Amino acid sequence: MSWQWFHRLGSPRWFYHNSARWLAWLCPIAAAVVLGGLVWGLAIAPEDAKQGNSFRIIYLHVPASFLALAGYYIMAIAGAVGLIWKMKLSYMVMKSAAPIGAALTFIALFSGAIWGKPTWGTYWVWDARITSMLILLFLYLGVMALQYAYHSIDAASKAGAILGLVGTVNIPIIYKSVDWWYTLHQPATIKFTSAPSMHPDMFQPLLVMIVGFYLFYAVALILHTRSEILRRERKTSWVRELLNEKNQDVADKKVGKS
Amino acid sequence: MKMYFASFQDLLTMDGHGIYVWSTVIVTLLIMIWLLVAPILSRRALLKEVARDILRERARQTSPTNTQGES
Repeated sequence: MSWQWFHRLGSPRWFYHNSARWLAWLCPIAAAVVLGGLVWGLAIAPEDAKQGNSFRIIYLHVPASFLALAGYYIMAIAGAVGLIWKMKLSYMVMKSAAPIGAALTFIALFSGAIWGKPTWGTYWVWDARITSMLILLFLYLGVMALQYAYHSIDAASKAGAILGLVGTVNIPIIYKSVDWWYTLHQPATIKFTSAPSMHPDMFQPLLVMIVGFYLFYAVALILHTRSEILRRERKTSWVRELLNEKNQDVADKKVGKS
Repeated sequence: MKMYFASFQDLLTMDGHGIYVWSTVIVTLLIMIWLLVAPILSRRALLKEVARDILRERARQTSPTNTQGES
């Protein structure tokens, strides 16, 4: 079996060139699915019998929480691949995943707090699920901070990858927190093992939003990785060639003038 | 596919829950847009920086005051 694809995948140059093509079709699909799901959930789905319309926050809260957790796996796995195979691109993906994950975790916490006010009568409780999500936010912020704590990019990447891997113990705790410490946060609505405890009219737009958030995450991760590639490789010949081709005429003109 | 609410006004107020739902929607969308715009802006700034470096190098190479040049 040829390992060529693996090495190509690890090449920042290859990724930079091809990701532009992926974005061209991924962006419009992601925008359409997110906006379509949002309109469906906010305006068309029926209201909840007990919670009224405040339940509509679920269409942002649950997808953001899904991706906050899935994004952590992506960041930790990217860090592990970097540690094991010394793949530069992998570290760049890890660094890019950190701020996106932190933002999504913040959205999950913020939307949950707002939702809590009309439903539980409070913005915040030190419930197991909420507290473990707050720890997730700090783990993301920790990986971000480590990227700027070292002079050497290599040392920063390794430290971030190790923190990311150690932090994965928090993920099963988050998943199980609603079952282990049954306090205020309700148990999972969507389970692989049983039918959803939600009416299809409400459940279908939620599924659309979850797919939409996955697509959005892919777009955001590719955009962040592209800018990170450029930041780290800006002194290399391929980046210069890239610009040389583009700016040949402009450069010639400016040099001619002076 | 029909709107659940009787009017656009009802969609905004949501029986008193509108403030909770719409504030969440606005904050979430703003954060999501920022997640897309921030890397685009930083990529653009980096491309400009590299272009400036290339121009500077070329100017140095072709400059008549350059005594180390080959010509």
